[in-house]
Amino acid sequence: MALHQRPPHHVFILPTPCDQHNPLFDTVQSTENFVLQRTKASKNQFLNSFLGTIQNVFDTKQAPFRILFRRQVHAQALMIAEAESQKNIDQAWTWVQDNFIVGLNVLDDAQEKEEWVLTKIRSLVTRADKGTDDITSDEKVRSASRAFRQTFNVLPSERLVSYYSCSYHGKMMNQGWMYISENYLCFYSFMLGMETKIFLELKDVGDLQKEKSKRGVFADAIRVVMKDSQEYFFSNLFHRDETYDMLVQLTTLSMERLLRNTALEHAPGMSNGDDSDSVKDVFSVDVDSLEGGESPYLPAPTTRPLRLGLEEQKRDSQFQQRFSLPASEHLMEESSAVLVHGEKSEMYHGRLYMSESFLCFICTEAEPCMLALPLYTIRRVERMNSRTAMYALNILTWHQMRVVLRLNGPRTQCEKFCTTLKTNLKLQVRAMRSLKPFLATCFSEALLADRPDVSEKDSGLGWIFEFPGDPKKLKNKSKTKLWLQYFKDNGRNLTMTKVTTFPKLIRVGLPNKLRGEIWEACSGSLYLRSMHPGEYAKLLKDNEGKSSLSLEEIEKDLNRSLPEYEAYQANQGINRLRNVLSAYAWKNPDLGYCQAMNIVTSAILIYQSEEQAFWTLNVLCDRLLPGYYSTSMYGALLDQTILEHLLEKTMPILSKHLKKVDVQLSVACLPWFLSLFINSMPLVYAFRVLDCFFFEGPKVLFQISLAILKVNGDELLATRDDGAFMDVLKKYFGTLDDSAFPDSNNPKARALTKFNELMLVAYKEFESVTPELVAELRRNHQLKVVHNISSFTKRSQLRNIAPGKFSKDEMGVIYDRFYSALFYGRSSQRGNGKQGEARALDATTFASFLGNIARWAQVEDDQMDHDDNNTGPGSPNHRRRGSTSTTSTAREHRRVVGKHFISRLFERFDDNGTGLLSLQEVTNGLGDIIHGDLMTRMQLFFDMHDLNKDGTLSRDEILGMSESLLFIFRFDDGDSYLGAVSNFIRNAFEFAEKVDAVKKAEEDAVTEAKEDSDEDKKEDAAEKESSEKEGGSSAPTDQAASTAAEEPEIQMSLPSFRMVVLADETLERFFDSGFANSFKLLEPMDRQKGLFAREVFDSLLSEGRKLAGSIAGGIQNRGNNHKVNNHKVNQKHLPQASASTTSLSETKAPEADESKSSANADLVESRSAGEGKRASDKEDEEETEEAAEDDGEEDDGEEDDEEEEDGGDDLLDEVEKFLTEFDQKGGGKQDLGLTSATEPESP
Amino acid sequence: MKPVQVKLVLLGEAAVGKSSLVLRFVNDEFQENKEPTIGAAFLTQKCRLEDKVIKFEIWDTAGQERFHSLAPMYYRNAQAAVIVYDVTKASSLVKAKSWVKELQRQANPNIVIALTGNKADLVSSGRSKSSSEDEDNQEGEENQDEEDEDHGVTREVPTEEASAYAQEAGLLFYETSAKNGQGVAEVFTEIAKKIPLEHVLSARGRGASSSSRVDLQTGGGLGGQQHKGVCAC
Repeated sequence: MALHQRPPHHVFILPTPCDQHNPLFDTVQSTENFVLQRTKASKNQFLNSFLGTIQNVFDTKQAPFRILFRRQVHAQALMIAEAESQKNIDQAWTWVQDNFIVGLNVLDDAQEKEEWVLTKIRSLVTRADKGTDDITSDEKVRSASRAFRQTFNVLPSERLVSYYSCSYHGKMMNQGWMYISENYLCFYSFMLGMETKIFLELKDVGDLQKEKSKRGVFADAIRVVMKDSQEYFFSNLFHRDETYDMLVQLTTLSMERLLRNTALEHAPGMSNGDDSDSVKDVFSVDVDSLEGGESPYLPAPTTRPLRLGLEEQKRDSQFQQRFSLPASEHLMEESSAVLVHGEKSEMYHGRLYMSESFLCFICTEAEPCMLALPLYTIRRVERMNSRTAMYALNILTWHQMRVVLRLNGPRTQCEKFCTTLKTNLKLQVRAMRSLKPFLATCFSEALLADRPDVSEKDSGLGWIFEFPGDPKKLKNKSKTKLWLQYFKDNGRNLTMTKVTTFPKLIRVGLPNKLRGEIWEACSGSLYLRSMHPGEYAKLLKDNEGKSSLSLEEIEKDLNRSLPEYEAYQANQGINRLRNVLSAYAWKNPDLGYCQAMNIVTSAILIYQSEEQAFWTLNVLCDRLLPGYYSTSMYGALLDQTILEHLLEKTMPILSKHLKKVDVQLSVACLPWFLSLFINSMPLVYAFRVLDCFFFEGPKVLFQISLAILKVNGDELLATRDDGAFMDVLKKYFGTLDDSAFPDSNNPKARALTKFNELMLVAYKEFESVTPELVAELRRNHQLKVVHNISSFTKRSQLRNIAPGKFSKDEMGVIYDRFYSALFYGRSSQRGNGKQGEARALDATTFASFLGNIARWAQVEDDQMDHDDNNTGPGSPNHRRRGSTSTTSTAREHRRVVGKHFISRLFERFDDNGTGLLSLQEVTNGLGDIIHGDLMTRMQLFFDMHDLNKDGTLSRDEILGMSESLLFIFRFDDGDSYLGAVSNFIRNAFEFAEKVDAVKKAEEDAVTEAKEDSDEDKKEDAAEKESSEKEGGSSAPTDQAASTAAEEPEIQMSLPSFRMVVLADETLERFFDSGFANSFKLLEPMDRQKGLFAREVFDSLLSEGRKLAGSIAGGIQNRGNNHKVNNHKVNQKHLPQASASTTSLSETKAPEADESKSSANADLVESRSAGEGKRASDKEDEEETEEAAEDDGEEDDGEEDDEEEEDGGDDLLDEVEKFLTEFDQKGGGKQDLGLTSATEPESP
Repeated sequence: MKPVQVKLVLLGEAAVGKSSLVLRFVNDEFQENKEPTIGAAFLTQKCRLEDKVIKFEIWDTAGQERFHSLAPMYYRNAQAAVIVYDVTKASSLVKAKSWVKELQRQANPNIVIALTGNKADLVSSGRSKSSSEDEDNQEGEENQDEEDEDHGVTREVPTEEASAYAQEAGLLFYETSAKNGQGVAEVFTEIAKKIPLEHVLSARGRGASSSSRVDLQTGGGLGGQQHKGVCAC
């Protein structure tokens, strides 16, 4: 065999040590350096099923074939390739022989040999499988992932996250394995011959619940509820909580993608001008960052298992959340430590963390103390001698503050910590330089330096237009003084330590001029601003003059944001607001602009400069209020659900009352959350709430909301409808200024306003509402909320689609498949769809969409068949195929044909030529096919293959058509299609007009053919045709029989095409109903189908070999006799097959006569398609059973199949080869069955 | 006479003047720069007819597309809806039509829907249908201009077109101006007249008498005439 240029895919693996003398394996071939092994097969069915069970339970499931490299320096061998099929391993074996032997002979040293082989294999694997599990560094994940992908027939790119042993409670308990991958949750068990497979898409998971297993004793179970309410119960999970967390994390990721996908508006903030740049795919960004930021250009020998990445991501996000750090920070080191701080050298015990640019400390004892120190604010670090700890670091900050950190822990750990700190500090030099100009923008610096103020550019609108509220009443001066002292003691802006007094100072309300900066310090936007100097200005400059949907929306609302505040009646305020909102829309085009953002932004701009407000808005939208302002607003809806839940828990009576009178809480509360009380409460109080919110996070919103409901509880209980409910609350907000206890004798009590009372209630009575609780509730409710949103979007989108003749259910399926294709078509997601519009399919996603509704459109499956030919480990009769390479090129060819066909269909559907298909276009296109009639479908095919759009089909175009037909028919049961297609070619060439042929002859031919086809479609028509033509004009005969090199160009018009189709019953049926029926909308397309479809296909080929033999004429017709039983089955439902081919095979293949006549005798043409289908269904079932049956059992019948399969394959290849040659040589000259019918001697 | 409560919801594209319309109806005033509605605003107003008093509970919803998913919360159980578009913006009628479709499928089956073309004052100079058709091609460029100027704006939705659509879909139809009050009261009065009382009562579960069916004819003078006096605050 010739040198394989390309090694086979997905067979070679990273070299893994293994035992060469494994009792489960037999050695098939071996050379000096390599061994080819396969699993022991036994005729004993029980033993096989037993082995299978053992393998399953202990997850030792191994591929049946493997290649080992014999190490000479080591007893253990190295496994270098693994395959599920004989064919693949053979290819790999050959490749190894061809490529290694010579090289190995040159090398003498055993060590060198090993190095050389390993390097080569490694580079092969890493080059071929970028970003797949095949190159993860964890060997267990590698093999589990392979088992998973092969068991469930998912794409090689799908990455396994984790797998757990567990039980599934179906009709009975099945012990098996749960596989969790990026997109799927699967379960597989194999118990004594019984196979259980569960395949769930994570995007369809509606709820996850931790449960106790059936006896209610062990907390080791998880219930998975799908969005169609189907439930799955898994128990015996040893790491239940870990599994649960993993599932939550992954479902969250798919949920976010789902939302992005189904959003009615897509990236409204994207510029109208350019469609593609700037939009990044959320998910792929996540995955990229999971890879540890490795550049794609650097050689990455292995990928970390996805699970580790996900765990890290989770840890990082908790770390960022706790210290309000930018999302670019990753946790690098962690240690327990003591912080000594302040004038009095107070000691705080706690934990110390380090990321790329931060050193963070949090006190773990009652005394609150928190510090997040940017490394670029550290002037000096000294190691001190300390008696109490091995390592003490004396840190001098930019503001000359001294902080001592004593590290606890083993010496090595401390050393590692210090080394990392040193490295990180070195990387901060550049950031240090921009520190000084940055600090000049901070008001705290001015305040301490007793400088008058910061520049106008760096201050809020309040500096010019005054702050809301009476500064005296707000005790602005004394508050400022308190803060001044705090800054002196604990540092300021970037270096501030948050100690006990900090929350107290926040809760009494911030002084006007410091408010903006402390908001920044609390929310963490201060870090973002200091780490991205100039980015805000650049965003505005880069996008100057561009327009987008969001910009239009912003423009509408500029005059409508806090219109009562003076600054927003003038250009100054309006301009700032416009700048900040549009800069954010440019930064995050997926979100763009949402009403309510204008209100929040206009409010914070009173206290913050443009740049400050911009970064604060970033923190707000990305971290504090995730999903609130997104196009689906799922975050806001989620928090409303949580509020309802909390109300039910804390105030059950009110909650019950609201349900009774049918009042929806969110009617009143949603605006509170979206605009952070800014347009509900008087401004001064809204800002007090904001003070707390920026410091303590979204839990404050819940506390205040619950407190409002509590304080007004009695009145709310008296309301009977939502109108009255709203009135009570509206009135209440108007009285916040009033005394809470106007009748009290105590003047202090009288001085308490209702707002004070509210804050008191919020913090005292709803103390239990912690950030952790909010996070947990969000996790628990998010899936339900998202599925409600998606089903709403689905309904409203379908309402706007003209369904044609599709039923509601069918439209639902089309919608689901449409978005499912978008969901999984990750790579093509970027920049897909015009801004502001719902998403659309491109050519790639369209192909996968089609593959999900029509079997024949599963082009990639062919490849899968080709790669992982699924032959069970038990079948011993693997024969080497002589024509492996021919087969694969033929398949490759068919794949190309298929792709062309689908892409032409895509163009056909694409009415407006945008290169994208909207849901409506897809609906229309499918409607034309499914609900059209025979004529429209023929027209469709004709147009699709009329590449030059000249209204006729040329020779090449006719051949193209026949290839398309072969492609579509390839999964059809039966062999009739082979005959039909060859008939088609023959008739097409015959009826086609020669470019300069005499019109009359053709017209005659056409009329004749039409008349004939009415009564007797096949032989007669064909015969008469040929004789007629012979008489009228010698051209067609010449064309067929001639051996001249030059062939006259031919044309086939639509009418002739129709005639040709109608002349063949198979084709006619195909255009009449078969093609339309090939689209399965309501019947589920089983994913597993792919596994046995291949076998159906193979057995079909074997059955068709005789017939094909007659077509292919000269091909040896072996194995004719031993398929008699098969014939019986097939002839029943395939009468046309033999009938239609009669005309061509009559003279050339007499040996086929017997079967033909028997078929004709008992069946005739009258058999309905339905019956045929039923018969085929039945056979399908049989096939399924066979496929599902344990691999071990083998009988003679199957052996026959094996052989047959090969023969059939060859034949199909032959047909295809013929087509190709025909194509090349101009056709008609091969001495093959196809042309025989047109030869003069046939009449 | 005990007032009958009617829940009414306002729907329509952003910045077509839903809130202003309500403000005109409820307080008879007009604010040039009304803050956008977040979620929904709630207001009430009584409307006195000859034989009954109707208390409108008005839910004024947010117009931006992404708030769409919240709308069902407000229009559930609504007995009446005012769908507003902007006569100077063709796209707003498209959105209005999709709201009509949604309500007809998802809302209370007896809901009374009024289609209202707002900002009629901007085109009061009375440009005819034919001229507006000519300008269709220039919509794009003119959109920008009309934001800035309050007068001399092109009408993009001809009265006839909207009216024909309303008739076909079985809606009440008015052109209004929240700014000068034109047609505002009529919208609400006509809705009040058209509300089938027994549905109101049964829907609300307020088991009062269901005998008095509203006579749609008694209201008299449809169209042109102002009904300011009819609605009392």
